[in-house]
Amino acid sequence: MIGAAPAQWRGEEAASSGDWEARERRRPVIQASARRSLGRRRRAGRFVQVLCVLATAIGLAPIVALVYYTAERGLGGLSWSFLTHAPVPEGIPGGGISTAIVGTGEIVGLALLMAVPVGLMTALFLHERRGRLAAAIRFGADLLTGVPSIVIGIFAYALLVRPLHHFSDLAAAFALAVLMVPIMIRADEEAMGAVAVDLWEAGVALGARRWRVARSVVLRGAFPGLVTGNLLAVSRGVGETAPLLFTVAAPSFAMTLLIYTEGTQPFPSEQQTAWSTALLLLLFVLVLSGIARLVAWRLTRRAR
Amino acid sequence: MFRRPIVLTFAVGLGLLGTAFASTGSIADAATSGHGALHATTPGGPLGPSHDTKTSSSVTLSGAGANSINPFFEEVFYEYHLKNSKSTVTYSPAGSSVGISDIEQGTVDFGDTEIPMAAKDLAKASRTVLQVPVDLGGVAISYNLPGVTSGLKLDGATLAGIFNGTITNWDSPLIAKASGDSSLPNLAIVPVHRADSSGPGWDLDDYLIKTAPAWAKAVGTKASKTWPLPKVGIGEQLNSGVATYISQTHGAIGFVEYGYALEAKFTNAALKNKAGAFVAPSLHSISLAGSEASDLSSTKYSIIDGPGAGTYPLANFSWTLLYKKDPNEAKAIALGKLFDWVVTTGQQYSSSLGYAPLPADVVALSTATLEELETPQGGPLFTK
Amino acid sequence: MTVLSGASDLASVKAAVRHRHARRGGRAYVVLRWAAAGIFAAILTGLVVSIAIDSSQAIAHSGIGFLWSGTWNPTANQFGAGILVVGTVVTTLVAMVIVVPIGLGTAAFLSELAPRWLASPLSTAIDLLAAVPSIVVGLWALLVLSPMFANHLEPFLKSVPVLEWFFHGPAYGPSILLASVVLSVMTLPTVVALSRTALSGVALADREAAMALGATHWQVVREVVFPGARSGIAASLTLAVGRALGESIAVAMVIGNSPSVPHSLLSPGATLGSAIVNQFAEAEPGIGTSSVIALAGVLLVLTLLVNAGGQALLRGMGPGRLRRRERHSITQVVA
Repeated sequence: MIGAAPAQWRGEEAASSGDWEARERRRPVIQASARRSLGRRRRAGRFVQVLCVLATAIGLAPIVALVYYTAERGLGGLSWSFLTHAPVPEGIPGGGISTAIVGTGEIVGLALLMAVPVGLMTALFLHERRGRLAAAIRFGADLLTGVPSIVIGIFAYALLVRPLHHFSDLAAAFALAVLMVPIMIRADEEAMGAVAVDLWEAGVALGARRWRVARSVVLRGAFPGLVTGNLLAVSRGVGETAPLLFTVAAPSFAMTLLIYTEGTQPFPSEQQTAWSTALLLLLFVLVLSGIARLVAWRLTRRAR
Repeated sequence: MFRRPIVLTFAVGLGLLGTAFASTGSIADAATSGHGALHATTPGGPLGPSHDTKTSSSVTLSGAGANSINPFFEEVFYEYHLKNSKSTVTYSPAGSSVGISDIEQGTVDFGDTEIPMAAKDLAKASRTVLQVPVDLGGVAISYNLPGVTSGLKLDGATLAGIFNGTITNWDSPLIAKASGDSSLPNLAIVPVHRADSSGPGWDLDDYLIKTAPAWAKAVGTKASKTWPLPKVGIGEQLNSGVATYISQTHGAIGFVEYGYALEAKFTNAALKNKAGAFVAPSLHSISLAGSEASDLSSTKYSIIDGPGAGTYPLANFSWTLLYKKDPNEAKAIALGKLFDWVVTTGQQYSSSLGYAPLPADVVALSTATLEELETPQGGPLFTK
Repeated sequence: MTVLSGASDLASVKAAVRHRHARRGGRAYVVLRWAAAGIFAAILTGLVVSIAIDSSQAIAHSGIGFLWSGTWNPTANQFGAGILVVGTVVTTLVAMVIVVPIGLGTAAFLSELAPRWLASPLSTAIDLLAAVPSIVVGLWALLVLSPMFANHLEPFLKSVPVLEWFFHGPAYGPSILLASVVLSVMTLPTVVALSRTALSGVALADREAAMALGATHWQVVREVVFPGARSGIAASLTLAVGRALGESIAVAMVIGNSPSVPHSLLSPGATLGSAIVNQFAEAEPGIGTSSVIALAGVLLVLTLLVNAGGQALLRGMGPGRLRRRERHSITQVVA
């Protein structure tokens, strides 16, 4: 073991022995052993340093390679017509992914409409109430964040596709909303928790109604944190594929599904479409995350 | 800063929604005049010499089914939309089992499958289903062997050995004997099959059962759409998955729809047909297989290992599934016109994609089946 | 001690009070709040209940043996989740074997070793990359990694004599190994980001105390920082395991879809997620669909167990302050 203690010195025994004389006699031995082990410990430390650098290089390499490959292969296919034209069959030039971009926007927009109010209000509920019910809902939100997206997709299928006998954007949006709500609840609650409790109590004590206090004090104060949290949830929702598998009418209506169907084709032009769509999606998600973190950074700066 | 984040997000969401709906509308249908009122069939209807394609109200038809026919469907539906902007057709090539189960549950307007629905499946559907042959295609046995050209001769027994794992290397003497080519490289064989249930899988299974006793002994005498030996080799989803894998992996061999093999410029094996000749897949050999079909019907549909000197033994028709009576009259008319066009004028688009045009007697069968379509009230949809 | 936010201040409290005699609206707000919480609770219960109900047909048909039965053969009406559970566990395990050392090593590097000008942008980059959609990772793995694995990496691994037990059999490309690598690429940024935050959050006082006793940098990290960051690291690993268990699309693209117990890391396999992706659409309505939904149910239970277990672990770990025993061990070690 690195720096193993020499046999004659066990910390507890030495500490409990009240004999000053005995300790002084042992001092040179202790100092000598400390000097010897220092070299050993330093070498061990350096070895671990090298391992850590290696780990970082290995860890970063695939992700960097991924972004690089996606950019390299996807860039060639990006063009204005790619973004604005509808898909065409294999072999006919000039197609694009406009239906997919619009479709994704529609689905995510609908999902936001459903998820943001529920997330916000539930977070306010958790923020303002204590007790077992709130704790149970918080626990439920934590559990729901871990549920695989494919399970959520199946739930949406059972609820909105099967009974109505057709696939729809609504079902897809519902699936995404269920995915995003728990993330939003936790992020919103955290953002609200950053607002000083005394301000809230002051408002209520002075007779303002709860909803007024919530609006003026809590939401206003937590606003940047709310934006951050919700943007992060959206960037997660935009990138999901599994919930859309069982709910969307056709792959040409969602970017992530399009990547899946085109990417598994053996033909270069369809693979090109997949790469370019993947690049678009990646850029969009990175920009969203970037904005979210920028807002969070400005928030912490202002607070100082 | 907005004082109410809820309001802000609502506004943004509504805005997104609004623009989305507005632009989707314009993409799907340029000249829409809204949904016209349903009206009765005009007498002297579209079936006939004119094969007129125009529908009077805008309709969106959605179908799901076989993956193998997708290149053909994609093309003909696109051309059809160009001629008739009021009809938009979407097709989900997720596999014939998907199409069949969707038809049984009523979630699509039409389906497609290489293996027609059996009586017990037809009984599960809530409405009567008509099965119309719309396409003639073939299944290629494609391989990725650098330096080896197309046309490697393989017979049923050798193929069976490859796909059941008894032959593991390309330079095996068994392959050399069957193919007459002893210069094959020392490369491990990677057999690829369909992980999902498929028509091409059924075709190859049927062929191997008929030509290789060892295969029939292992898997039985009835062909199945689910690949019977999934533990040997790699399973990939859909034709596209198999084709992508073959194109990437040296030593791979698998079965794909000929249209995909043609497009991907694969090297394909020449299979031994019933007459004893080794025939490679091509428009000609697939056409011959189709024209040898006698008494074609939804119960007698297999043209695997058929007679004829130049016949390709792995060919099949593709059957579209339509409800006899669609409660939505505009849709029923649109569907009827669409597939009437597909089996007649639409066949001109098949050859360039790797499908053979339907033989004349099959076209007659298709149009006769289409004439059985009924209006929601019960009368015939089209007059003869 | 809550952070005082700049926007919300005395002025806003005054604004709230000024409007206290505004028209009655308070009740609507309370109702809305309850409604939202209620909707959320309903969705959560609805999820569990709907999956349970839809799986019941399959369980009735196959019995409780569904959970460990090894056969999945829809045409023969035989359904069993056993092999899929094995595949799920194996891929997640291998992914964790890759992620834990590399993730913690990277986190330690960023938090302790890297100079500020390097650590800051790298950390931001990794935080951003945690958001890469799984389908993009799957696409890259299918089109770039898979041929690389089949033609170069897997034959290389097979040739190393020591690793023979792990790597044997034909090198197809799509395999348990490739799927595990994909899972590790997806979960690594999360582990690194959260662990790094946890590591840098360890109190300076604790570090300085150890240094005062003569510990080297590595000893400080090993004896003080890592134990102090224990709960954060555990949280990140729980998250990673949960994500790895449930990942479906990317795994389906690269795992080879073979319903057999893998005998080597190079053999193709199947997981719960990949089976659901591949089988759902074409499952026969009735027993077939119910069985696939039952697979989703098994996956749900598995993830919930892992999540709940992780949370219990976190609560047991406490805030991560050093316990008395550990403080003594530092003094021991430093000598």
